[in-house]
Amino acid sequence: MEEHNAVNFTRLLSDESTLSTMSSDSCEYYQTEIFDQLPSIQTSRLGQDRQGLWETCEAHQGGPEAGERISHGHLSRGPKDKAFTQPPRNLVMCIQGRRDARDRRKMQISNIGFWESWRRSQSINRRRVWAQMGEALSGLLPWLHTLHTIEGRFGVGVKAYFVFLRYLVFLNLLHSALLWVFILGPTTLYGRSNSSKPLKFGGNDSVLDFFLGSGYLDRSPVFFSFYTRGSLNFQCLNTPLLYLAGILIILFLSLILVVRRMTVGYKHTWMLGKRYSMNVSYKIFCGWDFTIQDTTAAILKHSFIRNDLKLFLEEQSFSLREAQRTLGLRVRLYLLRFVLNLLVLSLLGGAFFLIYFATKTSQQESGHYWLFSLVLEYLPPITITVVNLLLPHMFRKISSFEDYSFTMQVNATLVRSIFLKLASLGIYLFFIFTTRERQKYSFHCRENMFGREMYKLCIFNFLATFCDTFLLKYPRKLLQEKYPSSLLARLSGKQRFLIPFKVLDLVYSQTVSWVGVYYCPLLPLIGTATLMATFYIQKFTVLRCCVAEQRMFRGSSSSVLFHFMLLLGLLMAATTLGFNLYQQEATQNENMSSCGPFGNGETVFNVTGVCVNSFPSPAQTTLRYLASEAFALPLILAEILILTSYVSRRRANQKAIERLKDMLVMSSSDKRFLVKQHATMLRSQRKTHGVCSGAIEEDAPHPL
Amino acid sequence: MGTTASQLGKDLLSEYQELTFLTKQEILLAHKRFTELLTKDEKDLPNTRVPVERILTLPELKSNPFRKRICHVFSTSEYKDGSLTFEDFLDLLSAFSDSATMEIKSHYAFRIFDFDDDGTLDCGDLEKLVNCLTGETDDTRLTTEEMRQLISNILEESDIDKDGTVNLSEFQHVISRSPDFVSSFKIVL
Repeated sequence: MEEHNAVNFTRLLSDESTLSTMSSDSCEYYQTEIFDQLPSIQTSRLGQDRQGLWETCEAHQGGPEAGERISHGHLSRGPKDKAFTQPPRNLVMCIQGRRDARDRRKMQISNIGFWESWRRSQSINRRRVWAQMGEALSGLLPWLHTLHTIEGRFGVGVKAYFVFLRYLVFLNLLHSALLWVFILGPTTLYGRSNSSKPLKFGGNDSVLDFFLGSGYLDRSPVFFSFYTRGSLNFQCLNTPLLYLAGILIILFLSLILVVRRMTVGYKHTWMLGKRYSMNVSYKIFCGWDFTIQDTTAAILKHSFIRNDLKLFLEEQSFSLREAQRTLGLRVRLYLLRFVLNLLVLSLLGGAFFLIYFATKTSQQESGHYWLFSLVLEYLPPITITVVNLLLPHMFRKISSFEDYSFTMQVNATLVRSIFLKLASLGIYLFFIFTTRERQKYSFHCRENMFGREMYKLCIFNFLATFCDTFLLKYPRKLLQEKYPSSLLARLSGKQRFLIPFKVLDLVYSQTVSWVGVYYCPLLPLIGTATLMATFYIQKFTVLRCCVAEQRMFRGSSSSVLFHFMLLLGLLMAATTLGFNLYQQEATQNENMSSCGPFGNGETVFNVTGVCVNSFPSPAQTTLRYLASEAFALPLILAEILILTSYVSRRRANQKAIERLKDMLVMSSSDKRFLVKQHATMLRSQRKTHGVCSGAIEEDAPHPL
Repeated sequence: MGTTASQLGKDLLSEYQELTFLTKQEILLAHKRFTELLTKDEKDLPNTRVPVERILTLPELKSNPFRKRICHVFSTSEYKDGSLTFEDFLDLLSAFSDSATMEIKSHYAFRIFDFDDDGTLDCGDLEKLVNCLTGETDDTRLTTEEMRQLISNILEESDIDKDGTVNLSEFQHVISRSPDFVSSFKIVL
């Protein structure tokens, strides 16, 4: 016999393995008779052949009998039991086939016995109840129809933005509920201390207070100073402690929810390495969105996909070009990138300086006209918003000069914009902390001042969104419609809904809400209201003012990035709070805080210390140990151990995957070789049949 | 067991609920939309088969580039002409519904993409698939060179056993890594 190639365990390329030593025609493989009878092909053709179906179950029960029904594949890959516990609707066949399967199963049940059939019907009922509950819950989600419309016209990416917005609304609602339980509830029920000012309209109050956060609002439940220790005065159950507990629970719960969503998203986009990246296959196999019904949307989707594919091919050729860059070219490019990064840094530095300047200016006293003082008060938020509006677009332009692939460009712009937003907020907080001129003013409450700045930021964000839509986008659209050929219309161009920037805005407002929740407890409530209004405003923007973005935005792969941004914002909020509490503790003597739940010389540590002292002694020592440094070291060691075990497990899994892939390639080429051998042998036998006269019928071995 | 004139019997309704992923309202809506496609004479016959041209007038399928393949895959007619009875129609909606499992969807997606019905996705199938995705006119297609590069990329990524085609398991392996598939492989009336 001919010899097969020498034992070769490297992975074969597709061209090599479709050729056999006996025949040189590579497409013959799929046209051989035995190919149709291979079990793997039969399984994939299950639903098409109703005849084969009825025998399938019986064949499966008795095991495939050689010589009789090898041709019909088995029903399920798993154990026999699985085929019977799966509900009939999960079987891949037409309705008639499922009916027959169900009837057969009913016949089976009489052979099985009471206990087994009871167990099965219980599991079926349980599944049905779960399904109904899930249906009812998902029917309760609001705005389903809007999301469906948006998806049909703009695709999955824009819908992902609105889904994220809805998620933030729920998060804020949850925070508000926790606020009611821990902060507002006890204060309403148990009252406040006798020395707190009453909540009435005073002499100097005006409508402006709602924008400035001073006067009436200063004394209202919106800010920190309202919540003083009331009649609830146990050692471990008093209003200040509940206040602190409420805030900590809000932050902790947000942490858990965000991390959970981030890891779920990360698992979905987890790539085990470059070899396993499924970029283009995914684009092709999952590319078409079957929910599209509108012809224009379909044409748009076609052009998305086309552009996406061309982009991918372009990026491939880009990376090829990149690999071929000469040394001189590379040096020039790195120099250019260095210069551009310096430019970016200088822009950031300039932005921070502007914010510092605005903060300093707004703290100047002004006895001017009310509008001027309003603007002065709002100068820092205005500066931050303007900076956050302009600079990301400039980053976009800069990154286009850096000769990166398109995805790299988008990511670079996003990373720079994230840094800009979070750092500008951080710098602003830092400036507020360190400038103390405000103390000389009549407000003795530092926390209130801080809360007021966050309140102003929040209000201004919302105002900016509102004005952006109704004063910028809508007029632009009207201009495009009425006078499409005018110079202004041609300069401004068509409007697009830039999803990454919009999501950044959302994350930023949520970060502000988290940072300020300790000083301005009603921020989540305000946040819920503004987010709901933002939903409708953005819906108006998208449906009336924008055209669809040409380059497709993949929702799932960037959701990890956005949740990571949320996490960063949350960490910043936690750091700010921790720093503030620490400062409180450190400067106890100067009696900084004289308002709110921790006024009158009590600090957070005092109040919690009192509570801890009231515990029984073993609990006290445990708590003290947990909070001390001696606990931190074992904790860190334990974490390192756990991480190492995960990493090594992952590496072992990767090796196993490689080995299995090699085995698969080998088995597949074995199969192909055998099929070809068989076909060639058949053919040569038929030739010898043809040579001899037809009268002599030899008993040729049939594959059946 | 066919559908009578314009009403769906109660026990038939509950049977369909058991055998498909559709809720009662969805089945009734499907029945209503299906009977709208029938002509006056056909309405009285049980188990009528609607020809593929009329099915393709449904707005949910009209702009779908795979509409002919979908009808072909779900059709149980002996002539393989893509005509659907009401039960085939329910089958279609069930596989494309919200609650269908990933396995069902990936199975049917594979069959829809298998243009030559040979049980694997070879180069010809992939080429037709890409052409369906990029648009059905001549100026929207990719060039031959781009197509070749694209198909070799696809095969390099998803053809694990290196036989030159993508079989069902390899297809499901690609699909299972994408969370968007279940939400985009959906047709709801």
